[in-house]
Amino acid sequence: MKNKTVILIVAVNLAALILLAIFLPQLMISPGKPIDAHAELATDCFACHTPFIGSPPTKCIACHKVENIGKSTTKGLIIEDEKKNVAFHQKLIEDDCVSCHSDHKGVKAFRPISHFSHNLLEVTLQKQCDSCHNNPVDDLHRKVKGNCAQCHTQNAWMPATFGHEKLFRFDKDHDTECVTCHINNDYDNYTCYGCHEHSRSKIREEHVEEGIRDYENCTECHRSGDEDEAKRIWRSKDFNIKKLKPYEQSENKEKTHKHQYDDNNS
Amino acid sequence: MNMERSLIRKEVIPFLKMFGALILSTMITDALLHQFNLVWIGRWLGIPGVILILLSFLYSMRKRKKISFGKPMTLLILHEVLTWLGALMILVHAGIHIYTILPWLALLAMLANVISGMTGKYLLERSRRYMTQKKAIYSQEGFSDDYIEKKLFWDSTTFDLMKKWRAVHLPITLAFVVLGIAHILSIFIFWEWK
Repeated sequence: MKNKTVILIVAVNLAALILLAIFLPQLMISPGKPIDAHAELATDCFACHTPFIGSPPTKCIACHKVENIGKSTTKGLIIEDEKKNVAFHQKLIEDDCVSCHSDHKGVKAFRPISHFSHNLLEVTLQKQCDSCHNNPVDDLHRKVKGNCAQCHTQNAWMPATFGHEKLFRFDKDHDTECVTCHINNDYDNYTCYGCHEHSRSKIREEHVEEGIRDYENCTECHRSGDEDEAKRIWRSKDFNIKKLKPYEQSENKEKTHKHQYDDNNS
Repeated sequence: MNMERSLIRKEVIPFLKMFGALILSTMITDALLHQFNLVWIGRWLGIPGVILILLSFLYSMRKRKKISFGKPMTLLILHEVLTWLGALMILVHAGIHIYTILPWLALLAMLANVISGMTGKYLLERSRRYMTQKKAIYSQEGFSDDYIEKKLFWDSTTFDLMKKWRAVHLPITLAFVVLGIAHILSIFIFWEWK
């Protein structure tokens, strides 16, 4: 076969493929079908795409009015089972739909083309994590109310900075509510005078007897109810590297003292 | 029997090594990108890959006298190295995400082109071996060394075997170029550029 004939055959086939790409882009170019709700747009790429630009939010908003998202469908039907506590989409500082929605199932619907950033939310809403996220139901998180940012960042749930055992281990004598030691959900500070067992007079008496006068920061030596461990730490001076302030040394002293048990009411 | 062994040692094994190295390098690069959570780099590797392959066409242009700079031998080596690296980048790029037909076709055309190119490389070496015999003849005729070297190079590329190979390589390259351009154009049209 002559070279020119071969090239001609290849060229004809290529032309056919290019025509297919032009007239059947959903077959040749589209990265998978759109999500079911957009099935009717499967053959109309330019319903969402503006050539050489992308999918501007105006294309989405033409059907999905921001003020109605989460409240009613594009056909006007009321959405009754919306689970979120706030109308999330209405609180975004800018309309950037493809930050979270990618639509084509081929690239996994709802896998973002760019990445969602909490900075897209109004500042006040950024602090109301449970407006969008469900509270974890484990024992620890059930007791914590708000203030997620103390342990978690907005980039990812894990890694979390919190590791209570590094500061204090919960043994059988300390199986208690967070609020016993952390008053007003203040996890930067703690008190050991939150229960009847540790009265001021008793603590003072026991420490002075041992010649210990600097005993206000309890967890420096007491990492659990193990007294022997506390003595070892005191002797070796190997204190907690990461310290929480006891309320007695913190700026919150005033507001928290009224909650604490002292010699008079124990 | 000896001739068969020589063919395997001189042509088949080096060819398999070169192609195997390309596939292995692709798998290693892809694994490393996943390991270090850098998959996004793969998405963009298509661009430098295409640039390297475009640069490799300098040799093709030199051969067809469209440009006159550069030593043919150097440009040929550059052609081989740049297409290998460019193909590696595009394979890694493709390994990250291919969901539709057109980029698959472009990738298959590229792989066919790479295989055809590597075959050409060993055919060219074989033809050069025949040319060494010619060298003795040119020397006897009293030509300068520089002239002989240049003449032998072009003689080797126009050897009949190479002509037959080129009849296959060119249509494959054409398919790769057209499908590659169609894929790139579709990305330009539909990509989220914001």
